[in-house]
Amino acid sequence: MGKVTIYTTPTCTYCKLAKAYFKENNVEYKEINVAADQSKAQEMFEKSGQLGVPVLEINGKIIVGFDKPALKEALGL
Amino acid sequence: MDKYDFIVIGAGSAGLPAAVYAARFRLKTLVIGELIGGTIVNTHIVENWPGEKAITGWDLGEKLQDHVKANDVKIVNDKVVDVSKKSKLGFVVKTSDRKEYEAKTILFATGTTRRKLNVPGEKEFENKGVSYCAVCDAALFKGKIVAVIGGSDSAAKEALLLSEYAKKVYIIYRGEKIRPEPINGERVVQKANIELMLKKNVLEIFGEKFVTGIKFKEGGQLKLDGVFIEIGALPNSELAEKIGVKVDEKKEILIDVESKTNVQGVYAAGDVVNRHFKQAITGASEGVIAAFSAYEFINNNSAMDQH
Repeated sequence: MGKVTIYTTPTCTYCKLAKAYFKENNVEYKEINVAADQSKAQEMFEKSGQLGVPVLEINGKIIVGFDKPALKEALGL
Repeated sequence: MDKYDFIVIGAGSAGLPAAVYAARFRLKTLVIGELIGGTIVNTHIVENWPGEKAITGWDLGEKLQDHVKANDVKIVNDKVVDVSKKSKLGFVVKTSDRKEYEAKTILFATGTTRRKLNVPGEKEFENKGVSYCAVCDAALFKGKIVAVIGGSDSAAKEALLLSEYAKKVYIIYRGEKIRPEPINGERVVQKANIELMLKKNVLEIFGEKFVTGIKFKEGGQLKLDGVFIEIGALPNSELAEKIGVKVDEKKEILIDVESKTNVQGVYAAGDVVNRHFKQAITGASEGVIAAFSAYEFINNNSAMDQH
């Protein structure tokens, strides 16, 4: 399944939905709270070119938002 | 095909309470929704749901959901793509996961879709400074300059949330006066870093990699890092219309005081209906009234059991 990182803010709805989806499918993930760490926020902006959360990185592939079909494909579910 | 007495389309603050009541009326009930918890989950703090002095929209959505599950009603996370009338009584509901369900009665608690500004730059800069979810993205604009476009209570609440992070928040509205709940209006006035810009229309959103500003129709421009668009919503009533449900000129579903539409066995509740005051609590009320109407309808039409 590979390496999964999710950039979040604590109040973000679609981050919670994405995390729930990972749990449901037993996907291990690393969460980075960009609200708490400005340098991580900068890292997210640079990696993804996005100014919105969630940003997900699955095996190097960037997915923006809680896009279920895209997640399914990237995770091979 | 699975058969139900009552299928609720929409899993928000109108549909979920309806399902609780329907379960207690012993109607075989199913809820199908795209966003479990509904629109309220994108509200930061809810302060007007009875019994909850202050609760996040997300937590309220979870509580509503748990309440439904505690009554042994299944909630399916799926999108309804078609509703059709059966030859006699009842309906067939199809979803994007290619499931089909049969229902004696239907509740449209389908809510709304956020309205877009439809100006140049809006689409190009979505998630690059243009956002429709302050509760998601507010924290990314620490020390930045942002604007909320819109004059509703939701717009005021977004501005208040953003003012906790951003250096400066403009509320830009085309009307002469914003119209938040008075309590939120007072909070806006008290915030030193919120400024109102009235009688202004956005002409264009521009930037490079990210948003850098907006231009006004009235002339002039404003330097910005973020634009939060909160200009109302359009009712999700197309599926209802397809089976003959009447809507008004705004495409909102017409219901009577018993939450009935003009089509027998079809009800509607929440943000999708033609009620002026749209709140989580009023949607819940319309929803539970619909559940009761469906219960009475099924009891009075026991011949439906033969189908």
